[in-house]
Amino acid sequence: MLKKILEDRVYSLLLLLVVVGIMASILFPNTYPTFDNFRQILLNLSVDTIVAVGMMVLLISGAFDLSVGSVVAFAGCLTAYLMHFYQLPVPIAIAAGIASSMFIGWLNGFLIAYHGINPMIQTLAMMGIVRGMALMVSGAGIQNLPYWFNAIGQSKLLGIQMPVWYMLFTVLIFSFLVNKTVFFRRFYYIGGNELAADLSGIRVKRMKVIGFLLASTLAGIAGILLSSRLGAALPTMGRGLELRVITAAILGGASLSGGYGKIPGALLGALFMGMISNIMVLGRISGYWQEIILGVILIATLWLDKFLQKKYAPIT
Amino acid sequence: MENLKCNNISKSFPGVHALRDVDLTILPGEIHSICGENGAGKSTLMNILAGNLQPDSGEVLIDGRAVKIESPQMAFTFNIAIVYQHLSLVDSLSVAENIFANRQPANRFGFIEHHKLHEDTRQLLDSLGLIAIRPDTMVFRLSPAEKQMIEIAKALSRKPAVLILDEPTASLSHKETQLLFTILRTLKESKVAILYISHRLDEIFALSDRISILKDGRSQGTFMLEELSREKLIATMVGRPLNVLKDFSHSRPDVLLEVSELNGAKFKNISFKLHQGEIVGLAGLIGAGRAEIARALIGVDERKSGTIMLNGVSVYFDHPRDSIERGISYVPEERERLGLFPEMSVRDNIVSGDLGIAEERGFYSVPKATRVAEKSKNILRIATPTVDQKVMNLSGGNQQKVVLAKWLLTNPKILIVDEPTHGIDIGAKFEIYEILRSLAAEGKSILIISSDLPELLGLCDRIIVIREGEVAGDLPRAVATEEKVMSLAAH
Repeated sequence: MLKKILEDRVYSLLLLLVVVGIMASILFPNTYPTFDNFRQILLNLSVDTIVAVGMMVLLISGAFDLSVGSVVAFAGCLTAYLMHFYQLPVPIAIAAGIASSMFIGWLNGFLIAYHGINPMIQTLAMMGIVRGMALMVSGAGIQNLPYWFNAIGQSKLLGIQMPVWYMLFTVLIFSFLVNKTVFFRRFYYIGGNELAADLSGIRVKRMKVIGFLLASTLAGIAGILLSSRLGAALPTMGRGLELRVITAAILGGASLSGGYGKIPGALLGALFMGMISNIMVLGRISGYWQEIILGVILIATLWLDKFLQKKYAPIT
Repeated sequence: MENLKCNNISKSFPGVHALRDVDLTILPGEIHSICGENGAGKSTLMNILAGNLQPDSGEVLIDGRAVKIESPQMAFTFNIAIVYQHLSLVDSLSVAENIFANRQPANRFGFIEHHKLHEDTRQLLDSLGLIAIRPDTMVFRLSPAEKQMIEIAKALSRKPAVLILDEPTASLSHKETQLLFTILRTLKESKVAILYISHRLDEIFALSDRISILKDGRSQGTFMLEELSREKLIATMVGRPLNVLKDFSHSRPDVLLEVSELNGAKFKNISFKLHQGEIVGLAGLIGAGRAEIARALIGVDERKSGTIMLNGVSVYFDHPRDSIERGISYVPEERERLGLFPEMSVRDNIVSGDLGIAEERGFYSVPKATRVAEKSKNILRIATPTVDQKVMNLSGGNQQKVVLAKWLLTNPKILIVDEPTHGIDIGAKFEIYEILRSLAAEGKSILIISSDLPELLGLCDRIIVIREGEVAGDLPRAVATEEKVMSLAAH
């Protein structure tokens, strides 16, 4: 039983979260185990997690996308720009923002899958290009967004901010899709062995384009949500987000070589990182230490993996 | 060096005895050829001498002293150099940097002396008659034949006492082959011991002093060149008592697949027919273009011209998805690389050819997939405790059964199998033959590519021999013999 838990990252991470949570509650009984604190932790990681869900799908297929952080900024800025300077209705501006992120994802996937450009180089270049475009669109940032736009990210349901609900909704939907549809399961096979997948009748190139398209679209949605929550669109939004998101997904059980990972792992990975930073803030530990400790945890997790010689394939 | 001796060398891989009690003595100043069919153990023996593999038992003696060759670096210290079948050159470096890789001449501060490096290389290339190749040319600009010659130059730059060549002429033209022979004969005069592996019998007879023959990992003896005729050599290489497969045929008159004038990058003018219930073999040497023909048939590789008629209708596939849907499934060679998802479970592998079979009410269902996989496991007798097991933990024979199970679930009319019994033990081989035969009995047509001749002769209604990308012969079972196939396949 214990072996099974250790072998499945979703369960082992869940166990670790409970242990860390209990320890923190003992250390900070007045500030840590409160509704307010948890609401804040979840709100802070909601944008990251939505992006991490898309990244998880990509990582399962054996790829990753470094441009998502820039896409967060660009989609948010473009939406704000269209509303602010062209007075476009909120839904149309949002649709345009999402469409732009879809185009970026499609272009990434198309060049990578059909023209053999290295995914790391392609998305690294796209990261710079898109960040530049976000700066061009928004300048120093755009404020005074329409009330209805801000309401999307600033209202509450059952005392919890909306972004948290959107995040949970995204995780639930994609957990279901990845688990239960043949279409999404193909990503595991592509990550497991691309050549064999192609010979098995999976149109690998087409699926790869869809993977990048999906990751970028979720990043675009997250970016629009973020600017709504902030009530402003800043060209610096999502800076460094790509690496945080990849870290969360790897913590959550993905592997850079593909074939592994589950959608709930993305949420748990992000939650773990969120809890650690939260505890360090409560303990008044310097921000420098947070980065060091997260790095150490990531390496320790991967190192541990090498030792748990997995005999059984995870039931994906 | 006086001599290099192998005593009772044995080596097993999971599921196969690659070498069993092999003895071999190599003397300075001789060209010693090693002959054997694909899988006879030649490359394993070479890799043991080169330090890439360790024998399970037995010893290697140099001048009567037992030595352990634990790494390729150690082989160099014993003055053993090997020219690999697969090139070991770095494309993005120059000829000179490749030849003197990791031991470039350096001054006392450790900086590479480029001038000397190029001069040494020039000298070496000239001495080998490779006047046209410049030391500073990037290797990726060279032709395959030139790369092969550089590979040989690299081995010779170490001034070895023993030189091992594994199929060195596979990519060489006639002219370069003659140049290589001249080089080898010169080396022989300077008392280098040369171990030569080739499938080309003409070369072996033109070059060798002595010939050792391996079959199924066992030594069949060492002969002086004069003792052997071509016929005797082939007979010793292939002749084994394996006619246990009974005569049978399920071939029916209707033509299921008709390929005419198919042309591709590695083959030309391929025409043949496949009848319902018929088992047809594609024989030929490795690299003759058989796998490429199969890949063009199912739409992985592009075909340049020609038609493929399925049930009398011309078809064009641009992805294996299309061919699977039309009832042609391809079980690829190299199952680890092309056929399996090694880290995924037996279950996930079995359903991978048609994920739709694991759907229940439109959604993927793990219990349904498990039931399908369990059923296949029982029918094909796949030895695994559970279908949750990662497929990489299974033996070669069971892995092959998993791959077969996967493709059978796509319910093909035509099954193309490429080297289906490569590297698996004899028991599993016969089980796979049984499966293929019962499929033919059900009316499925089977195209089998194999380098195992007795296997083809025992299974097939017809054998088509491919030589250098062309049909060299089409032999019905009644007239096919190993000697006939071999003489059509080689030249």
